[in-house]
Amino acid sequence: MTRVIEVPPHLDDRSFEQFAAGFGAWPPEEKLLLDARSAQWASPYGLIGMLTAGQALAEARCERPLLAVPTSPEVKSYWARIGFFRYAVDLFELHGKLPKASASGPSDALLDITPVRAMEDVHEAVNRISESAARILRAELGLERTATGRFSMALSEVCQNIVEHAGTSGWVAAQTYTFRRRLGRRVAVIAVSDAGIGFRRSLESTHAKRFGERWGDGAALEAALVQNVSRFRDPGRGQGFRQIKPFLDKWEGKISIRSGTARLAIVPVWDEDVPLSEHLPFFPGAQVQITIPAPEADAR
Amino acid sequence: MIETIRIGTLLRETLATPYRNLVTRPTGAAVRDRIEAALAESDCLTALLDFSDVELLDFSCADEVVAKLLLARASLTGRIVVLQGLREDQHEAIEQVLTYHGLTVVAVSGGGDCLPQLIGWVTPDVRLAFGCLCERGALDAAGLAFALGWPESKGREIMQALLERRLVRQEGEIYCPLTIA
Repeated sequence: MTRVIEVPPHLDDRSFEQFAAGFGAWPPEEKLLLDARSAQWASPYGLIGMLTAGQALAEARCERPLLAVPTSPEVKSYWARIGFFRYAVDLFELHGKLPKASASGPSDALLDITPVRAMEDVHEAVNRISESAARILRAELGLERTATGRFSMALSEVCQNIVEHAGTSGWVAAQTYTFRRRLGRRVAVIAVSDAGIGFRRSLESTHAKRFGERWGDGAALEAALVQNVSRFRDPGRGQGFRQIKPFLDKWEGKISIRSGTARLAIVPVWDEDVPLSEHLPFFPGAQVQITIPAPEADAR
Repeated sequence: MIETIRIGTLLRETLATPYRNLVTRPTGAAVRDRIEAALAESDCLTALLDFSDVELLDFSCADEVVAKLLLARASLTGRIVVLQGLREDQHEAIEQVLTYHGLTVVAVSGGGDCLPQLIGWVTPDVRLAFGCLCERGALDAAGLAFALGWPESKGREIMQALLERRLVRQEGEIYCPLTIA
């Protein structure tokens, strides 16, 4: 029997919960079909979330899932340009016609989907984004040079978390787009996702006791993002998220981290998100999104 | 004597690539090892770490390269560490990391035309005393106290704080600001 999981037409960090709920108990026992035929748009968070699902299913030795590709030529073309199908082909049995590589054209992404398996990949991602970030962020968001440097620094820190904590590989992508519904401004978004052990298991041996019965996915996220703890004894560790916060404060940015069944966010005034969501549908690993909006005066 | 260490050169030698981005903890730790090796072979009194050909410095490397170098007092053996050629975002990354650790370091601009600055955890009195020494030159504790309108005991106390943080050099009763020109 095959379980069909509808990929929401607009797949982003919000509708991701609907996507995650489709998997049911983890790991799913049935063969899965991810049906993306109706997809109209997907954020980097959504795209690498789908890859993470495929990776987690492979690592759980589940039957290779099917993925019905979008019917919209424009959507398919964008997914191809940003590199989604390059990696999806190894994780899913793809159904539907894919655009030819030569027909999809060059990507306009800040950072195409990039696997993060080792520290060398973090270097590669930072080097690639550094080339384009200053130009694109300045032209599209009106961010000054110091802000583009900090954007790359934030990317480096969240990617290192995968290598150091996940116990497996992950993905990163970055893009600029107009955030119509919530903000009405251009935003730059970094999305990072892995299929690893998640924050709760990463921090459990060193921090669970202190939280007692409260310990869970939500408490683990709170420990990492708010209390800046790390599983490493080195006093300089666990500061990555803490160091990103002043940058987010200055630029009215948002960070949200989802792990297991919880999601914690530092919510700027322009957003209506809740700081902590618990009892969400389980999804493997950890998913991070950093959103930096264009300054209000430069909204376009 | 001043030992100038070009961090960008060490980075490229460490990674064996032309990259100018100093990112990830293992890379930062490897660069710090090379700094310590260079200092072990030098009899310099001041180690001038030049960041001018580094593009990006992330928080992990600010911690591994600068904070841990300052924390490893043994390898410095009384030397003063000075940073040069920092861009604004690099300055801020180091500032955040050093403040977290309660550390302080001296930074100078690449051209050497500005007075040295303190980066990291600094009390207002220490900052004032450091600025006074940079402007007026070497002073003893009484001279500092007189210049700032403090009691002499406070002058001694703040000079000792500067010395413990290796922000000035002591020659007998005199405390000398950095001279890197």
